[in-house]
Amino acid sequence: MNNFFDHKILELGQWLEALFNDVPSLKIVVHIVLSTLPLMLAFMGAFAFSTWLERKGLARIQNRPGPNRVGIFGLLQPLADGIKMLMKEDIVPNQSDKLFHLMAPVLLMVPAMIGIGFLPIGDGLSALPLDSAILFFFAIGSMNTIAVFMAGWSSRNKYSLLGGMRAVAQMISYEIPLVLSAVTVIMIAGSLNGQEIVSSQQIPSWIGSGNIIKEFFGQILGWHIFKPWGFAGFIFFFIAALAEANRSPFDLPEADSEIIAGHLTEYSGFKYAIFFIAEYISAFAIAGIAVTLFLGGWSGPLLSGIPWFIIKLFSLFAVMIWIRGTLPRLRVDQLMGYAWKFLMPLAILNIFVAGLYYFAEQQWGTMIALIGGWIFGFGALQLAAKGLSRLNKSPLLKGKRVYQFAE
Amino acid sequence: MSIAFFILATIAILGGVLAITLRNVIHAVFSVLLFFSAIAGLFLLLLAEFIAAVQILVYIGSVGILMLFAIMLTTKVMGDTTKTVHSRGWIWSAISVTALLLGVLVPFISTPQPEAVSILSNFDPSVKQLGLVLMDPYFASVGVIALLLTAGLIGAVVAASSASEATE
Repeated sequence: MNNFFDHKILELGQWLEALFNDVPSLKIVVHIVLSTLPLMLAFMGAFAFSTWLERKGLARIQNRPGPNRVGIFGLLQPLADGIKMLMKEDIVPNQSDKLFHLMAPVLLMVPAMIGIGFLPIGDGLSALPLDSAILFFFAIGSMNTIAVFMAGWSSRNKYSLLGGMRAVAQMISYEIPLVLSAVTVIMIAGSLNGQEIVSSQQIPSWIGSGNIIKEFFGQILGWHIFKPWGFAGFIFFFIAALAEANRSPFDLPEADSEIIAGHLTEYSGFKYAIFFIAEYISAFAIAGIAVTLFLGGWSGPLLSGIPWFIIKLFSLFAVMIWIRGTLPRLRVDQLMGYAWKFLMPLAILNIFVAGLYYFAEQQWGTMIALIGGWIFGFGALQLAAKGLSRLNKSPLLKGKRVYQFAE
Repeated sequence: MSIAFFILATIAILGGVLAITLRNVIHAVFSVLLFFSAIAGLFLLLLAEFIAAVQILVYIGSVGILMLFAIMLTTKVMGDTTKTVHSRGWIWSAISVTALLLGVLVPFISTPQPEAVSILSNFDPSVKQLGLVLMDPYFASVGVIALLLTAGLIGAVVAASSASEATE
């Protein structure tokens, strides 16, 4: 009875579309509405819930209760925040570029909303089933940079401009390890299509065997994260994804202790809220791509596809909250050096490891490839990481630290 | 289909015209980006989704950012410049470009076109086809380009690291 729920939703959609069979032009509209509107509503709901989750999670880490006044456990807090944001005055700086100041939040929302359309959220369920969906996702994600720069530039504020510059530099740098670590999965799956990448992470001979235990594990053990290159790739991807989504510890563009709030400084009222929504939805989208590429997408035992996807998505988001609560923000030079001198060479090496794994699997079977890959491939990656961190060590840190102005 | 084409074509022409007429450099860059995104939409309309993705990735994501970087490294970051270079010879360039355009377009429109045949039924626009073509007949060129790009990438990292050592 696996994926029963997904198939029912698909059938419901097809039944609703079939009602409009007589009017072909209306049928297209119905198809578009049915494939996009539920997704948008669901992700807006997920956004509202995740703000609550984030505040509660951070509060737990800092040993305080967090929001607990509005509704049970403070669950209605997002609603109260939304009403507050709507009623706030919208202040536009006098010297700002009015048109761009208005357009920037809208432009940031567009790639975020298109991005979630590429996620395969269930068995056969993806809103934009393009053949090159993964590539398209990264392409659309690069438009975020433009919107953030637009916001920073149009505000006519030095902090905003600094934030915009930081955002551009950071997003461009981290896009490279992000895509390079995704390349491994695309190589092994042999496809850029999200659904095919998910099905490459299932073991079909085990799932169709009729043995309950084999069917159970056939849906789990094929995930790319259990392979040496997949594990390393997932870590690189997740780090780069944090930077792409401006999440802590890479939230330099809006570092509130250094440059107030970066590109958000001159935004108020609901425009600020739109920035917030777009940022969270792009964080969800990129976490969804990480789930699709490395964590088996919607595949999993017992439960149907959509619940599995939601569980995995929120688990990744919980890790993001955890990281935000524990790690301090990076310095700008550390940020750039980390992307170019550490993540990128490792991601390139990981592509070679994945290629060797692919041929080893064809030559000697999965078991030997896995064991050899974990010993040699992962070992090579670890050695490279050690060597790189030694090479990149700042000359100031070599030897004993000498204090100039303190004893 | 044709409605979408005309909307996208209008946006593209608008972006192109704005890019050369706007005084503010940053505004001009954003108009160029508008033009690029309209072109990506046109590629998508032609079912060339891979080219559309590459158009967005390379032109909007990289070339546009490069232009913004170049402007950010100058002193006129806010882009407000009222001075523009005027050349007297603009009329000649306008005439030559128009002549070139008409020289291409007029013979094409005037020759009778064969009846349009729908190739959608046996048309496979997948990335797989593209990959197979790149790997079989064009493997050598793809390999050389990949090697060149990797060398460039590593070179950039080496240049950046040695420059920081020189300043210390």
